[in-house]
Amino acid sequence: MPKLIEFSAPILTITCFLPLLGAFWIALFTKKEQEKLIKYGAFVISLVDFVISLPLVYYFDPSTHNFQFAERYSWIPSIGVTYLMGIDGISILLVMLTTLLSAIAVLCSFAAITERLKEYYVCLLLLETGMLGTFMALDFFLFYVFWEIMLVPMYFLIGVWGGGRKLYSAIKFFLYTLFGSVLMLLGILSLYFLHFQATGDLTFDIVKITYQLQISRDVQFWLFLAFFIGFAIKVPMFPFHTWLPDAHTDAPTAGSVILAGVLLKMGTYGFIRFNLPIFPEASKMLVPFMVLLSVIGIIYGALVAMAQQDIKRLVAYSSVSHLGFVMLGLFALNPQGIAGGLLQMINHGLSTGALFLIVGMVYERRHTRMISEYGGLSHQVPVFTVIFAITMFSSIGLPGLNGFVGEFLILIGAFQASWLYALFAVSGIVLGAAYMLWLFQRMMFGQITNPANRNLADCNLREVVYMVPILIFMFWIGLYPKPYLDMMGPTVEKLVERVNHPTYQAVAKKSQGTEQGRAGTVQRVAGKANPEGTPMRAKVNSPQLSGDPAAPLPQVSPASAGHGNGATGSTPEGRR
Amino acid sequence: MVPITYYLWLGAILFMIGAVGVLTRRNAIIILMCIELMLNGVNVTLIAFAQRLADLGGQVFAIFVITVAAGEAAVGLAIIISLFRNRSTLNVDEINLLKW
Amino acid sequence: MVQTLNIPLPDLSAIAPELILTAWVCGVLLIDLFIPKDRKHYVGILSLVGLTLTFLCSGYLYLRGENLSLFGGMLAVDGFALYFKMVFVVVVMLTIAISLRYLPLEEINLGEYYGILLFATLGMMVMAASTDLITIYLSLELMSLSIYILAGFIKKDPKSIEAALKYFLLGAFSSGILLYGMALLYGLSGTTNLSGIGSYFAQHDLSHEPTAILAMILLIAGFAFKIAAVPFHMWVPDVYEGAPTPVTAFMSVGPKAAAFAALMRIFLVAIVAVRPHWNSIFWGLAVLSMTIGNVVAIAQTSLKRMLAYSSIAHAGYVLIGIVAGNQIGYASVLLYVLVYVFMNLGAFSMIILLCTKSGRGDQIKDFTGLARVNPWAAAAFVVFFLSLAGIPPTGGFVGKLYIFAAAIQANYVGLAIIGVLNSAISLYYYFRVVMAMYMEELPGPLHLSTHPVLVFALTVMVLATLFLGLYPGPFIDAAMSSMAPLLPKAGVLASHF
Repeated sequence: MPKLIEFSAPILTITCFLPLLGAFWIALFTKKEQEKLIKYGAFVISLVDFVISLPLVYYFDPSTHNFQFAERYSWIPSIGVTYLMGIDGISILLVMLTTLLSAIAVLCSFAAITERLKEYYVCLLLLETGMLGTFMALDFFLFYVFWEIMLVPMYFLIGVWGGGRKLYSAIKFFLYTLFGSVLMLLGILSLYFLHFQATGDLTFDIVKITYQLQISRDVQFWLFLAFFIGFAIKVPMFPFHTWLPDAHTDAPTAGSVILAGVLLKMGTYGFIRFNLPIFPEASKMLVPFMVLLSVIGIIYGALVAMAQQDIKRLVAYSSVSHLGFVMLGLFALNPQGIAGGLLQMINHGLSTGALFLIVGMVYERRHTRMISEYGGLSHQVPVFTVIFAITMFSSIGLPGLNGFVGEFLILIGAFQASWLYALFAVSGIVLGAAYMLWLFQRMMFGQITNPANRNLADCNLREVVYMVPILIFMFWIGLYPKPYLDMMGPTVEKLVERVNHPTYQAVAKKSQGTEQGRAGTVQRVAGKANPEGTPMRAKVNSPQLSGDPAAPLPQVSPASAGHGNGATGSTPEGRR
Repeated sequence: MVPITYYLWLGAILFMIGAVGVLTRRNAIIILMCIELMLNGVNVTLIAFAQRLADLGGQVFAIFVITVAAGEAAVGLAIIISLFRNRSTLNVDEINLLKW
Repeated sequence: MVQTLNIPLPDLSAIAPELILTAWVCGVLLIDLFIPKDRKHYVGILSLVGLTLTFLCSGYLYLRGENLSLFGGMLAVDGFALYFKMVFVVVVMLTIAISLRYLPLEEINLGEYYGILLFATLGMMVMAASTDLITIYLSLELMSLSIYILAGFIKKDPKSIEAALKYFLLGAFSSGILLYGMALLYGLSGTTNLSGIGSYFAQHDLSHEPTAILAMILLIAGFAFKIAAVPFHMWVPDVYEGAPTPVTAFMSVGPKAAAFAALMRIFLVAIVAVRPHWNSIFWGLAVLSMTIGNVVAIAQTSLKRMLAYSSIAHAGYVLIGIVAGNQIGYASVLLYVLVYVFMNLGAFSMIILLCTKSGRGDQIKDFTGLARVNPWAAAAFVVFFLSLAGIPPTGGFVGKLYIFAAAIQANYVGLAIIGVLNSAISLYYYFRVVMAMYMEELPGPLHLSTHPVLVFALTVMVLATLFLGLYPGPFIDAAMSSMAPLLPKAGVLASHF
């Protein structure tokens, strides 16, 4: 069971609630007319929040899977709710992504939002608190509170400042997510009572519930489904994705950036944080189902994206496809797949966030998002073209950029699970390249056919300023992903060990006999065999991969899963 | 002597007649009277039970019910009168400003 | 049976809240005679003072942990009763606060309004404390008769009178049904005392006795009318729409809560032995109320009617707590009632904030563009709607969480799923108003009241709703401990859970 390591300063709380304070400040102490003050105030708040979150990276100990910067205060003792925050290798990157993208989202709204600024920036800042809290919370009650709070400002962002059928999209977004999350709430309550029955300990503590609770296979299955619905709608996985194109298309630019960059990650984060470790048996059992949905999502998203006339809709469907990838990586249930999925979450946040920013830029200039309205822009706007090109290549996974590393790891993971999974995944990559390149070609190359595009202004300083950090991260992750993989390494390692994937099991047939009792064994032995804090380096972080993405397949050792854990019989000798 | 059960049946029948009246009649005053009939059915039942159980509680209860029924009739008639002033009708089918 | 006249006078300090209130009502009615027509709000303020005293007195008794049985088992002064009494007093105080602005608008210059409201309060307070069929019936009628009058208080408005008539006819009818059920219970067990009936039922196997089942069904039907559960809900939308708005607000909260209190006393103490029978009926009522309430609410254009259907749905949620039948379940009823007071009264107060002489304010479209005119009012309304829909960080979330937790713990998973899905549906119609307020353009000028008492009451309700959501600990504890006196009789082990 991971420990909670405290830190001398309550950085998490400050990071999480600074935007909330800022929102209060804007709501209470500014006047509607002070537009500049509100704008720059909001930006400064979000920027300061990003700066405050930097020490998290600096002081983060990448050698452990424990929860760091933990804070615990009593909140509602009578039902065992505590204010418990902490981050591990899974959440730290998402927290950083959130603070970065929030600051960028504020900056990119300066020109686009011209009315009701006050409410707008209040909503953005509230949203930031909600998102950060969701990633930081280690108490189910707290998690759920943040998870739902976040919906409200997003609803307003889409509904008030959106375009097109904004009312429809806003309520659709809210209702879809809510339907999923209320079922998840029942799942949470069931876990709560199961844990209470098993231990007599009344708590919503996620860590305790995850690592102390032994659930029978059937119950795991149903609870997995309850959580699955909540998260799958958020991701969104294939049959639950219909809210996404509408919400993305009709949201204002900043809304789309946040939605694509962070909100969707909450679904995948939920799978990693809850579904995999709490329901390992059910996760393994449902791998084919999950992979099937992911693969359908990848291919369907790509195909539909190809058919879109509207740039924003195209990017929205590309999200469905990319998140299918992430899910595929996660449910490969090996270190490579999960690390890849996790990294791809960040990558998608950066590249799709950037794509939405780019769409926002052209939309602000031309007020149309139809691809057919554009063409030959590369002659007119060179800086924009460069930025767009890099982002596009990042999105389709060109080596040297961030997308490649994530997709590559996912492919390795998928291949280890089954060559069939990898085959479908590859086809998704090909399709992805097709629709993005085609989009780029239609918009940027050729002659300027539409006279309206002749006077198009290139990126201004503000736009360059908010694009550059994203581009830097794209190159950084693409060329030297080691620090990122290092950070998540031990946590991923631990997670895989816990889930103890059947691909390992299937090879080591001899352990089949212990199938029945394994769920319990894993939980109990895992704790003993790996004394807390023992550094366990993920094999993913092999130097070849980190340094040079084009290097040959690293020798991935599946033994990592069974590392020091002979009792589960999972060391896949047979595979080698 | 008449057996207690007869009284119980009488109470039940009065109650049923009242209930059916409330549901079928359309004049507000008749409905009010039917409600009173129901209450009186209950009173008969209560007193019959009190007799059978040799317990005063039921009779006390019945007296309270009679009192309340008087209050109820007063309030009900007041409402009916002010309705009649407003609408000049007592037919509940015609009292339909608010959709049912 | 010979009764001696040597009746010892019980310690009256235990019913001091009721005594204070009774004296106060008489005083208010008298003083009213000497107050000129245009100063009738003084009567309201005077009533508020009396209610404050009542509240303090109940609070003192509650904190002292009184647990007494008075008048030969007719009344109980226990945590359960005192908890409800305090809730009722808060309800009425808020109702008076919002009436102070509303009554002059409708040109109701009658001080009796407040007097009758206080009588209704008295009825509700006694109802929560009653442990005998006679006292339950009497207090129920005291409450109902007062509210019949209040519903028709705008004599010139045919809608108000019509609402009063409908409420009266159906209310009296349901009281009759309830009463017949009580008579049968008395006939079976030979006593009107709830504990006495309970022990009779415990000693005899009555689960196949037709009279017992009939009594139970009649009681359920009567109470279902009072709490407005489907299929006994037909009167609700009409009466809520027609009655003066503060009275509607009061009706949607107070009598409902009182009916729940009496219902719990009867079903958990007197006829808990036939629990398997009534539990499945309540299960059905809960599902029907939630589903029909929420689905029909979607189609409404009048905010009052919409809130009426929403209150039907909320009765369904509360019934889940009773069906679950464990300690959390019963406590969740108490907690939810408390939360519901603030959020539902708050929502109705918003209508009063907007209404003018021309009657504006009870249609959803009347709220169009409110966010631009007064962002604070719109934000307050959003808080109430979030709470009604059960979204954190509001009291509604904690209340619902508690209810669904009870259902999950008692293994009523199906009921919990129906419940949560319904609460998601409810968001749709609540947010139609939010949509109108924030996302549609203003058709014309919008006049908001700035009546200080109304604004103050609204602020209190918003803050209470948020506070209950952010720091519900003490209230959860209070609900748990208030439920404790009934638990042994209901056969529930009073552990921590």
